[in-house]
Parts: sequence; C-alpha cells; structure tokens
Amino acid sequence: MSYIIILIVSAIAQLFLPWWVIAPIAFLVGMMKSKSSSGSFFAGAGAIATLWIAYALYLNMSSDGLMLDRVGGLFLESMKFLKNIPYTLSFFVIMALIGGLVGGFSALAGYQFKQLTK
Amino acid sequence: MKFIKFLVSLIIAAGLTYILNRPLGALPALGKLFNPFEGFWQNGGTKSSPDELKLDGIKDEVSVIFDDNRVPHVFAQNEDDLYFTQGYLVAQDRLWQMEFYTLAASGRLSEVVGERAIELDRYNRRMGMAETAKKIAASYKKDDVAFKVLSAYAAGVNAYIKQLSYKDLPVEYKIIGYQPEEWSPYKTILMLMNMRQVLNGGSEDFRMSNVLAKYGPEVVKDLFPDYPIVESPIIPVGTKWEFTPVPVPAIPTEIAAKPAGKDGAVAFNIAAPAPEIGSNNWAVGGSKSASGLPILANDPHLQLTLPSIWYQMQLSTPTMNVYGACLPGTPGVTIGFNKDIAWGVTNVGSDVMDFYQIKFKDKSQKEYWYNGAWKPTTMLIQEFKIKGKSESLKDTVYYTHHGPVLYNRASENNYAKSFPVGHAMKWVGHEEDNSDLMGFYYLNRAKNYDDYRKALTYYKAPAQNFIFADNHNDIAITPNGKLPLKWKEQGKFILDGSNPAHDWQGWIPAEQNPTVKNPPRGFVSSANQFSTDPTYPYYLGWKFAPSERGIRINERLEAMQKATIDSLRSVQNDNFNVEARRVLPDVMKILAADSANTNNTAYQALVKWNMKNDPYEVAPTIFERWVKELRTWVWEDDFSAQSEKDPMSQPTRDRTWELIKNQPTAKWFDNINTKDKVETVEDIVRGSFKATVDSLTTKLGPLNAETWAWTKVKSTDINHLGRLPGFGRQDIPNGGGPGIVNATSETHGPSWRMVVQLDKEWPKAYGLYPGGQSGNPGSPYYDNMVDKWAKGELNELLFMKNKDEKSSKIVSTTKVIGKK
Repeated sequence: MSYIIILIVSAIAQLFLPWWVIAPIAFLVGMMKSKSSSGSFFAGAGAIATLWIAYALYLNMSSDGLMLDRVGGLFLESMKFLKNIPYTLSFFVIMALIGGLVGGFSALAGYQFKQLTK
Repeated sequence: MKFIKFLVSLIIAAGLTYILNRPLGALPALGKLFNPFEGFWQNGGTKSSPDELKLDGIKDEVSVIFDDNRVPHVFAQNEDDLYFTQGYLVAQDRLWQMEFYTLAASGRLSEVVGERAIELDRYNRRMGMAETAKKIAASYKKDDVAFKVLSAYAAGVNAYIKQLSYKDLPVEYKIIGYQPEEWSPYKTILMLMNMRQVLNGGSEDFRMSNVLAKYGPEVVKDLFPDYPIVESPIIPVGTKWEFTPVPVPAIPTEIAAKPAGKDGAVAFNIAAPAPEIGSNNWAVGGSKSASGLPILANDPHLQLTLPSIWYQMQLSTPTMNVYGACLPGTPGVTIGFNKDIAWGVTNVGSDVMDFYQIKFKDKSQKEYWYNGAWKPTTMLIQEFKIKGKSESLKDTVYYTHHGPVLYNRASENNYAKSFPVGHAMKWVGHEEDNSDLMGFYYLNRAKNYDDYRKALTYYKAPAQNFIFADNHNDIAITPNGKLPLKWKEQGKFILDGSNPAHDWQGWIPAEQNPTVKNPPRGFVSSANQFSTDPTYPYYLGWKFAPSERGIRINERLEAMQKATIDSLRSVQNDNFNVEARRVLPDVMKILAADSANTNNTAYQALVKWNMKNDPYEVAPTIFERWVKELRTWVWEDDFSAQSEKDPMSQPTRDRTWELIKNQPTAKWFDNINTKDKVETVEDIVRGSFKATVDSLTTKLGPLNAETWAWTKVKSTDINHLGRLPGFGRQDIPNGGGPGIVNATSETHGPSWRMVVQLDKEWPKAYGLYPGGQSGNPGSPYYDNMVDKWAKGELNELLFMKNKDEKSSKIVSTTKVIGKK
C-alpha cells in the first residue's frame, strides 16, 4: 500500500516540484502507513526506483536513446571504472540507487518517527 | 533506543538528499542531473514547435515555418517582431552556446567552470574585450536602427530564457551546474568581440624582433620579405587604383624597439596568427556561367565545434527577404543571399595588432616614458569570481595610450604564453566604431552593387574580404574594414612605445580600401592571401596566409567555362596540393640520386601520387609530414621556434621552397649544431625524408594503405564547444588539409559551405555546415549534416518567396502572436 501511494504521489508532485520532494513524501507515507521498518524502507526505495526507471525508460525510448549515449560517453571518460559495464545499464542502476536510497531512508525515518510517539 | 533509530535514519535521509542536491567536487548535483523528471533524460529528442506561441513583446502576427532540416523561415510584418523572433528561435536552439562565447570573451568562464579557466580569463580580461564591448553598447542611441535591432533581439532571447525551468535548460547547464543570465545588446557585441579575437588576435612581432636582434636587417630582408615569391593576390595584378592616395607617414630611423635587456626581456610565444583560420570565397560572372548570371561560393574555415558556429535562417519582412548563416547571438544574416544579391566573407590577414615596448618609471607602473616625458598610465582592477572558491581573485591592468599592458610579470601559467612582458597592445579590436552590425543589416537588404558598397562603409573589424554578386551581372570583391595607415613595415617588429613616430597615425581612407568590380578575367576570389600586389600605395602587412589555396582557386576558375553550381561545389572540395606541385620535383630529384631512397616504398608512393590530398591515399600523409619535418631541419637550428628564451619566426614555406630550388648552396642548410660537418641541401632533404618515414613507421607500422591513409593520420575531430567528452564527433573521414582548397585540418575546416546561383526571377542556393541546427546533444538535429559535409555534398536550401508558398520540405508552422 505505501509503495503504491509513494509512487503515485511522487509522480504527480515531481511534475511541479523539485526532485527532492520525494523525501518528504516518503517520510509522510512511511509515518502514516508503514507497518514495519524494513517494510517502510523497501516501499520507499522500491516506489521511487520503479517510478524513475519507468519514466526514464519511456523518455529514453521516445528519443532513440541519443541523450543517454552522449551523457554515457561523458561519464565514461571521467569514470573509467565504469568502462566494463554497458552504460545504459550503469546509468539506470545509478539513477535507481539515488532515488531508491533517498526514498527508502526517508520512509524509514518517517516510520521511526511514528514509533517515537507510540 | 527508538530515538536513536529515528535520528540515524533521519540523518541518512536528509544527508543523502542534501548531498545529492549539490555539486560534489567536479561532479554536478547528481540528484538533479539523474532524476528523470528534471535531469538529462528530459533533454532527449527535439520538441516539436507548438502551433501557436504567445510571446509578450510581439506586435503583429509572425509565421515561423520549419523545414525538414529544422531551419526556421520567419515571416514578420515589422523589424522589431523579426529580430525578436530571431532572438527567441536562436536561443531555443543555441542558448548555452551563445552565452558560452560571451562568458569567454568577457573573461568570466571561471565563474562557471572554476579555477581551470582562470588563466584564459585573465588573458581575455587583459585584452580588454569586455571594456570595448561595454563602450560600444553604451554608444548606441535610443533612436538608432542598430539599437532597435539589438534590443528587439535581446528581448526575444530573454522571452525564451524567462519561461525556462530547470528541466528545460540545455543539458550543459545541468552538467556544469549553472543558470543562464539575461541577454543584452552588450552580449551581442561580446559575441562580435569574440570574432575579432579569433580572426585578428595573433601576432608575430616579438618573434620577428628576436630575428632582427640576432641576424640584423639584411637577413630579415632576404628571408622575411614583404611579399611572397609566388602569389596570386586577391585584387588581380594590373587593376588600376582609381584614387589619389593620402600621404603615408615617413619611415622613422629606428623601425623597432631596441632589445630591452634582461628585465624587460620579451618573453615567449604569442599565438601567431593561426594559419588555419582562413576561408575561401569566389564569384564567377555571367561570362563564365552556364546561366549567363553570376554564381557565388563561400566557405569560412573556423574551428569546427558542436554546436556549430553557424545557424541557418530565412528572415523576411514586407521590405526584406534574406537567407543565410547567422552567428548565434547576433541579429541578422552574416553570410547569405536575397532575391537579388549574394555575399560572403573571408578574413583579411593584414597586420592590425602591434606591440609597444613600455619603459616604466618604476615598479609601480604609474608612469611611462613617451615623447621625452613621463606620462601617467591608467589603472583598472579586474575581479574574478571563481566557482568553488569563496575569495575572488584580483588582477591589476595598466593602460597606456597605446592600449593595455598585456603582462607585466612573467608567470608560468600565463594563458597565452605568448604575450610580451611590459608590452602594450595596440589592436584594431579595441576600436569603438559601433556600426559593424549595420554593415550586415544593409547587406541583408542590398539590391545591387551600389547598395553593397554603401553597406561596406559601416563595417570596421575584423576586416573581411567581402565578395559580392548580383542578378544585374555585377561581381566584386573588397578587402574591407578599418586598416591602419602605416609606414612600410610598421609593426613587423616590436615598436618603441616612447617614440610618437611609432604610434598608429590614422587610417587608410575607407573608400581607398582595395576593391575590384567585374575584372576582365570574369571572376573574383579570395583565400586570405595578400590583398594586393606591391603596387597598392599602402602597407597592409608583410605576411598573409600562404598563397596555395588562392592559386588553385584562381587556376580552376580561369579554366572554367559554363560554370554551374556543381562545378563550383567541386572547387570547394578540390584536394589538389599546389605546394607538392611546386616543391616535389626539386626534392624528389635529390632523393632519386641516392638508390637507398628509390627502393623505399614511401618514395615510390610519392612518385605515383597524383598530388591530391584524397582521404584514402598514403602519399599525402608522407608529403605533409615530410614538408613539416623538412622545414624544421632547415630552420630550427638557426631560427628556433621552440626556444624557451628567444623563440623566433621561421621563414615562410614560400621562401623555403625558393631557397631549395634556387639557392641550394645557402649557408642555412648547414646544421650549426653539428660541429665537424657542413650539411648540404642534399643531406637535409634526405635526412628529413628518412626521419619522417621512420617516425611514421614507428607510429603506424610498416607502410600500408590502412593505417597510413591520410584521413586516418589527419583525423578531423569536431569537438564539443565546451570540450565535453562524448559530445563531439571524432575521426571524420575526409581529405584536404591546410593549404588545400578543401581546407579541412585536424580541428579546423569549412564551417559553412554555400553556393548561390543568381537569377532574374529567383536564386537557387545550396549549403550546409558540419553540425546541425539544434544545439541539443540529445537531438537528431545536433549533428545531422556532418556526414553529408564530410562527403562534400550540399543541401538544396529552401528559400521561400512568401509564407504561403508550398513545399514538400515544410514540416511545421508556428504562429507567433503577442500576449493580451
């Protein structure tokens, strides 16, 4: 349940607000809806990762992946250790990590906050 | 315990969010850049233009028609709307690029990229381009046509900037991490200052002073003559000068500053005028064309970048209809055509940047010696904000009446290694005449030769060879701009800043700039070579671009009958090596006399060569590398260009080939670094050939058609303007080279190729540039013309008669109307 709510609310909010709005959203949902600490973390992390990957995939496909090729080339040049992984994959992983960690820890913090009041 | 759990998770969540929302060292804010709602993912593809666009500032309805190459054709009902829309559209495709040029010209790059740009910034600030641009911008009056044009354009750019949110920013802003600033007429002028620097910003004065100090005037006269041995000047030899020249200042007894001794020693390499910054243009008259009316061609050679320096547009009002290549950030069309005329430009290589040795009274540099008295300097403190540093850097610049003192103390990392310590710069780029833009404004509207001549009077710097053709069968070319009235050889060496006779003493009257209309040979042309032969009554400079491109163009056009667009296109792609034709017989004769060479495969490749720098030939690789090596073998011992202490100019290639052909016993062939041996021309030619082949073999393996192919070795790259890896195009397959009409080198080349056939009814035009209309690296229109360009093909240009014209090339139409 928290997973779906975070996903939907974040998708709408991010159309108007900066990316970090996912943190307070996950926090509030974690606080109000989560049942366990691990549940809250995975709901937050999973929701944002799914949302971001899905939207990025859509954008990438609708533009023939040109932008990803360019930025991929740029980052490979500055971070050689990524050379062995196809950058399409590494870019989705990096993006999912960024969104997922922020979403996950925010939801967890929300859940823990609620525990304080119990 | 609960509290600690909460606190830890909160700190991690908040910390992560905070860190990912700000730049990390060299990395941009990763959360902003990577999230698909705002980050780089948003920059993919090209958004199609809306059917209707409401913009605050538009007065009447404007139609913008996009063709299949994403070229906008703008039909406005008044000039304010026209330039407003031009500004808006250029910003939409090229905002990051146009701002980047202005940041560079005004010495502010370190504000966005940090400390690594600080030396470039210091150099550009000291050159004073921002100061000049400010004065020019301020000199416009409210009622000026130019001011109206500039203001409308700026308003259009700003209308675009204003509605941008982070997710719409060009991806470079996201990656580097900054925001666009408001545009203004001042920034347009900065863009033009940038062109002045690119085209007129080099000098050999101090290297020539070193030659003079070491060898004296006789050797200078012999090896560094004021006119080449082989030349084909822009104004055909024999053209009459139809004016009475004004008196030229007398040559003073001393023509150069005395060597300054240790403290003021002229330190190091100013960038010499870049030989690769050149261009071709020509026009054949009706007597030589199949149609009976002129055809005009132009290809300016500049550094090749993505986004490209050019942007194509058609601009139309009820009183004007023009098509061509525009400089991003600059209103109007710079190179193009309208119904009646076509025009183009190449750079004039006259000497318009001189250095004056300044003798300061003391270390404070508050006064300098001039005309027998101490004269005060003015001081200007430049402040540099540097990204990632809390404190700004300050730099004090002293101005003499000549101009700014470029560097007053030697510093290891001075950007242009190049500028003399304690030397003031006098540069045409500092001229504050404010009408360059009007030159183009009137050319855009010109209908005939008289209009062309009138338009040229507005244009000052950087001086250009303006070529012209119209449908009344007139063709003409004019090396045009502000040209200093100099005594012979003034500024060939460092000048004496204390001697009034060394000052610039006025200008060549503009109407006496060299010009020719409808010459008997039936064509006009230029390729940056000498503007005129020595009969022209004024001194313009002692060294222009090498003559080979000009010679080849002129012989091709001389031979041409019934020219068509395609025959002129074939000249633009001509790979013939005129230098090889001149020098190869002399040097091959020397190689042939030694059987060690004749069995060599590299030698045999040269024997079989058709003397064309075609992409998949190996001979051009051997030849181009060899002549470079050969010149080093002849000159580096006597005139060291590499010397840290006293670098010198080396005699031109023209002079070198003359030496090999007609003065084989000259003492210069001896390598003074070998004590017991006197080298002959044979030793130098054979030695340099062997060294060239050896070094190519080491690098590329034994001679083979694959790795030794000219295109592979030359390897033309079109890099991103901001040098972002992955954002450019590497190893473009093509031939040519510097000195070849198809002047594509490693980094420079034809940045816009255009051929226009004039017509009584409607002109036919072709053109393209190595890039694409969109500046967005995620757009298919970012580099879509590169492959065609590499093959030497051209696009037919859609030049619409009116907004209702039908064409299969039209993709979409946007109606632009005012708000309210």
